[in-house]
Amino acid sequence: MGREKEKEKLSEKALNLLRSRLSDPNFIFRPLPDSPDSNYSKLKFIISTSVTEACNNSILLLGPRGSGKVAVLELVLSDLLQQYPEAISVIRLNGLLHSDDNCALKEIARQLCMEHQLLFSKVASFDDNSQFMIAMLRECGLAHKTIIFVLDEFDFFAQGKQRLLYSLLDAMQSVNSQAVVIGVSCRLDVDQLLEKRVRSRFSHRKLLFLSPSKEDTERFIEHILSLPMDSSLPHNYAAEFNGRLKKLLSDERFKELIDTYLSFNFTIGHLVRFLFQAVSYMDLNAGFLSLGNFKTALSSNQRQLKLECIRDCSVLELYMMVCMKRLEVKEQASYNFYSVMTEYKSIHDSFQTSDYYAANVCLRAFEHLLQCQLISFIDNKGHNQSVEFRPVKLLISSAELHQGLKSYQQCPAILLKLMDR
Amino acid sequence: MGGKDNVSRQFTYPLKTTHRPLPICKTLKKKSKIATKSVTFTKQQYTKMPTETPRKQFQSPKKPKQSPNNVKSQSSTPSIHLSPQTPQLPLRRSSRRSLQPFTSETVDEMLDLSTPRKALEDLDGIGKCSGNNRKGSSVRTPRAPKCKFNEEDREIPEMGKVGEGNGVVEDAFCPVSPEALESKKTKKGLSEEGSVKMGKSPKCKLNEDLGKLGEGNGDVVLPEKRKKGLRNEEGVKTRKSLRCKLSEEEREIPDLGKLGEATFFPVSPQALESKKRKKGEEKRAVTRAMATRSLKKVNKEEKKGRKRVYYKKVVYDGGEFEVGDDVYVKRREDASSDDEVPEMEECRVCFKVGRGVMIECDDCLGGFHLKCLTPPLKEVPDGDWVCGFCQARKLGKDVEFPKPPEGKKRVRTLREKLLASDLWAARIESLWKEVDGSYWFRGRWYIIPEETASGRQPHNLKRELYRTNDFADIEMESIIRHCNVMSPKEYAKANDQGDDVFLCEYEYDIQWHSFKRLAEIDNDEDGECANGDEDWNSCKEDDSGTDEDMEYEEENERNVHARPSTTHQLAANSRKGRFFGIQKVGTKMIPEHVRCHKQTELERAKATLLLATLPKSLPCRNKEMEEITTFVKGAICDDQCLGRCLYIHGVPGTGKTMSVLAVMRNIKSEVDAGSIRPYCFVEVNGLKLAAPENIYTVIYEALTGHRVSWKKALQLLNERFSDGKKISKGDDRPCILLIDELDLLVTRNQSVLYNILDWPTKPHSKLIVIGIANTMDLPEKLLPRISSRMGIQRLCFGPYNYQQLQEIISSRLKGIDAFEKQAVEFASRKVAAISGDARRALEICRRAAEIADYNMKNQISSVNSSRVKDVVTMADVDAAIQEMFQAPHVQVMKSCSKLSKIFLTAMVYELYKTGMGETTFEKLAMTFSCLCTSNGEAFPGWDTLLKVGCKLGECRIILCEAGDRHMVQKLQLNFPSDDVAFALKDSKDLPWLAKYL
Repeated sequence: MGREKEKEKLSEKALNLLRSRLSDPNFIFRPLPDSPDSNYSKLKFIISTSVTEACNNSILLLGPRGSGKVAVLELVLSDLLQQYPEAISVIRLNGLLHSDDNCALKEIARQLCMEHQLLFSKVASFDDNSQFMIAMLRECGLAHKTIIFVLDEFDFFAQGKQRLLYSLLDAMQSVNSQAVVIGVSCRLDVDQLLEKRVRSRFSHRKLLFLSPSKEDTERFIEHILSLPMDSSLPHNYAAEFNGRLKKLLSDERFKELIDTYLSFNFTIGHLVRFLFQAVSYMDLNAGFLSLGNFKTALSSNQRQLKLECIRDCSVLELYMMVCMKRLEVKEQASYNFYSVMTEYKSIHDSFQTSDYYAANVCLRAFEHLLQCQLISFIDNKGHNQSVEFRPVKLLISSAELHQGLKSYQQCPAILLKLMDR
Repeated sequence: MGGKDNVSRQFTYPLKTTHRPLPICKTLKKKSKIATKSVTFTKQQYTKMPTETPRKQFQSPKKPKQSPNNVKSQSSTPSIHLSPQTPQLPLRRSSRRSLQPFTSETVDEMLDLSTPRKALEDLDGIGKCSGNNRKGSSVRTPRAPKCKFNEEDREIPEMGKVGEGNGVVEDAFCPVSPEALESKKTKKGLSEEGSVKMGKSPKCKLNEDLGKLGEGNGDVVLPEKRKKGLRNEEGVKTRKSLRCKLSEEEREIPDLGKLGEATFFPVSPQALESKKRKKGEEKRAVTRAMATRSLKKVNKEEKKGRKRVYYKKVVYDGGEFEVGDDVYVKRREDASSDDEVPEMEECRVCFKVGRGVMIECDDCLGGFHLKCLTPPLKEVPDGDWVCGFCQARKLGKDVEFPKPPEGKKRVRTLREKLLASDLWAARIESLWKEVDGSYWFRGRWYIIPEETASGRQPHNLKRELYRTNDFADIEMESIIRHCNVMSPKEYAKANDQGDDVFLCEYEYDIQWHSFKRLAEIDNDEDGECANGDEDWNSCKEDDSGTDEDMEYEEENERNVHARPSTTHQLAANSRKGRFFGIQKVGTKMIPEHVRCHKQTELERAKATLLLATLPKSLPCRNKEMEEITTFVKGAICDDQCLGRCLYIHGVPGTGKTMSVLAVMRNIKSEVDAGSIRPYCFVEVNGLKLAAPENIYTVIYEALTGHRVSWKKALQLLNERFSDGKKISKGDDRPCILLIDELDLLVTRNQSVLYNILDWPTKPHSKLIVIGIANTMDLPEKLLPRISSRMGIQRLCFGPYNYQQLQEIISSRLKGIDAFEKQAVEFASRKVAAISGDARRALEICRRAAEIADYNMKNQISSVNSSRVKDVVTMADVDAAIQEMFQAPHVQVMKSCSKLSKIFLTAMVYELYKTGMGETTFEKLAMTFSCLCTSNGEAFPGWDTLLKVGCKLGECRIILCEAGDRHMVQKLQLNFPSDDVAFALKDSKDLPWLAKYL
């Protein structure tokens, strides 16, 4: 009993360690940087040269979501802040929050004030703020300080008149300032969004964040999941844990599992989320990771949402969907509530089913289907039209519907038959 | 050995300088003669004391010259050659307190000693004196301590007494000998007669007269003072600072007179010195605001009509002093005045001035004759040269410099004294004549690195000074002579300026102890500002009131930020605060990498290719610039400049704004030279305005300096331009308005543009508008009434062709061997083919240099020097071009997940099949499942597929509607299908994709 408790405690400790690692981007991306081709060293070179050589740069970090753009950037920034503690101040903006020029400038002014212990006024106007920003750029340039602007979700800044980007980049090319603008975006065409005047002033450094290679992924999984030998965890436990992990990693079934998972989204962020799930399924009594954990995690990831929706539908709603399917089979491209109702009536007339409801009840069922997003309107036109006249479309394939009907417990047999016909 | 006439000395850090006797030196001789004459009194005084004592003793009560809020007692490393100046710095306040009893003690003692009795008697006998010849320093004395006492008073009331006592002592000390008075008078006469060369001549004369009147007045006013028992004040010329001080003390210490008599004339050397020291500090502490305050007091006392007369240039004691000059300022009366100022440095070995070529050691700055060295050098070597003594010292040996021959004291040059902080250097910010006829200037102090909070840093050069933000009013008397403080660029060029050359790259903030680079344009602006302030203040009249004085003082102190007060702080980012506190920004230490790093060719190339660096010449736009010049000149010179409006258009990066600004700079220099009438120039950028209407506010503010709402500004501008109402006298100058990004001013009813373009057509408006925009046909797009006003005169800036781009780049890279010639050509051809944007071309080259630098540094770190030359090659340029112009989607497609690849293939397949660009998710999913089943892949399910599509849509590889549309979601490829085919044709994990592409 005592031993078991102790073991549970141990495995809990290991679990916590793994979880904290998985939620710490610094740890995840730390082993990647070393080679000269990595984005880490390239980015670090660009920023650190602009700090030491007093030049202005503007960089775009592009790549799909979850590929570690911001994580690598943060890694670089924290390294540089250590290296040049006084010479860097970082201003962080997010396009989702500050896409409005006015509010973005205000936020810049606020952060600049915070950074230099100045008093900030909320009521300052756009002009004041932009002049303050330019003055600060100049002063900081004279004091050998670099201001790094991190613009997350850069595409949102590249909309409208782009006053913020223009005044920032214009100040950078005319005053003797020292600033780096880093745009982070998942849109690959973001530089095309820039207005021509802004684009001309932008210096177009681009760093592309791509998915890791297969070998990298394996190394990466091992790096995260293996326990350290020199921590507070007992040595033999850690050794056994790592041994089992190695065995698991070389297992073909495991590789296949990871492949299936990554086949639909091949990024580090995605993988980390999966690993976190799998680790959380770890059996505390056993204290080791097993293939089962990963399998559960995978299956919980591959849910068929529409099928689950069907499970919650009423029989009348099933009827309606089958009717729609039949209409589709008849190559009727679009249908609305009334055409579905006629089909429903004809089914009832020919088969004399017990489930016949009045039109208003059917309308309720129809609306419910809309809410479940099992059906949706075909176009966005005609908002003022009432629901029953607008053409709709079934959002579920016939195969799925069939499967759904089969797994539905009280499904009338007639429906399955109707589907087949 | 070298030139016989040119006694040249070379020093080589970081460049070579030859030393020639300055022309100034001759005039200086004269000056020093006069000086010695006028100093006689002091000399007498001092000769009674042992002459050797001063140095050691003087230093004892030395205190740091630091600003009041320095709390850190930071001991800067005392450097070898000076140590007096940088002893351990105790807390400022405490040191002051400890000193005060000391001074009074010594005062008593020294009264017994009766050293300068004679002088005192003289003075008593005559009973009149007019300030000593050292007014510069001694007058400052009384004023400055006051402010300090105030501070102390506030905190420790008891200290007040001591302080007062002290104040009196100093006060009593000011007036000096009758001789001094006489000499001063004669000198004054001299300077008044012939020396005022420049300045606003008619006014200046009038003012001089007024000044004389003032003197008369002064005598009338003075008796009041005498009643108070301040004998010494008799006959003192209306010295404003003294006055103000007195008046203040009258308020504070009613029985000041008695005290004053009790401790009259303390003239011991120590006391003297300690005072000098303090003066030094106080001098530092005297701030701009205080100066203006005292000025105001003068005004008050003299009621009306008393004005200072400001000059641009003053000839004083045979030297010409201009605003903006740098001068040595005496620090101590004794040392600096009675040493003869050597014209040239003596050789450290033979101690003769001699005519041979001298070489300067880069370490100790000592001069050596080439022939005196062992072994003697034939000629000045290239590069750094360090003398044998310094070399030996570096090796850890004890070295003794050769001692001077008996009876001959080694004479230190002014430069040495300055660097040993026995002298000060200041920059003249403004020059004026007081109402009493004495000449003053406002100086901006320079300090040596040892005096800063961080002490001398390893990267400081020997001849480096820092400019401070500390001002003081100094009398011209205390100027010794000119020195040259230069920016690094000038310093690099200077090679025949003699010994008094200093380098100044940074400004030192005495409040925050932080450094900041000096901006190059800064100089003029600051000077003007200072002048403006003063004029304004001196013109301002106000009725006196004692209470108000206090208020004013407080206000001043707040303005000066002498103490960071929390209650009155203003927000930094609002205009009302005038960016309050922005001066706080600065580095505590100048980072070493900035100064010590030696740039490689590549780094130099990168620096010169920066967009922010202004090129020396602007090639390829001569024709356009000429056209602009003729337009502007024609417009200015024409009296009736009607409807002058120029529209400049061209794609971005073709040098439109730059050309106009360059033309304006040229014209400005012509204005300065006097060949063209003055004008005012307003620059507005449409994209930097929050709203088009704000342009009125901006223009009005630029013209008058007042900030009003745009409606009011529009009304006022209308009055000025349309109705011809002139508000002030400067308004009749023609006004050139440059509007960048003009297209942003287009509003719905286009009233802003109409208003602005309508003004030039009005008679007497004298407004010239230059509009810049990108589109060629902007006038045509506007309402006819606007296009008729704007579209007449146009100038097109075409995109650069490749030769021009090549010229632009290579003109910047002149003298830097970092680029292969073909590389530059490749870049310029590529850019010319795409946009003709010079910015882009420069950026490509810079990026290429960066890539080359990166590769080189990596190779150095990994393998030792496999790259032979650090030159930017074609490959680097190509990489840069790829990065800049190539959309990254191909790479992303190559590396994306398996399902995404199939998805894209299905898209392309669907496109081929139907010929329609747009498809829906339903159709695509069908195709997808077909592809899967026929190639043995598992169909992942509709929902997963939808997610895959949305992921691709997020990266904009495909364009898609929101995911909740599901089956009816519309999809479209964002890139040509060929790109997809190219990217996916040879994917390893899905070889069958190629079939469908």
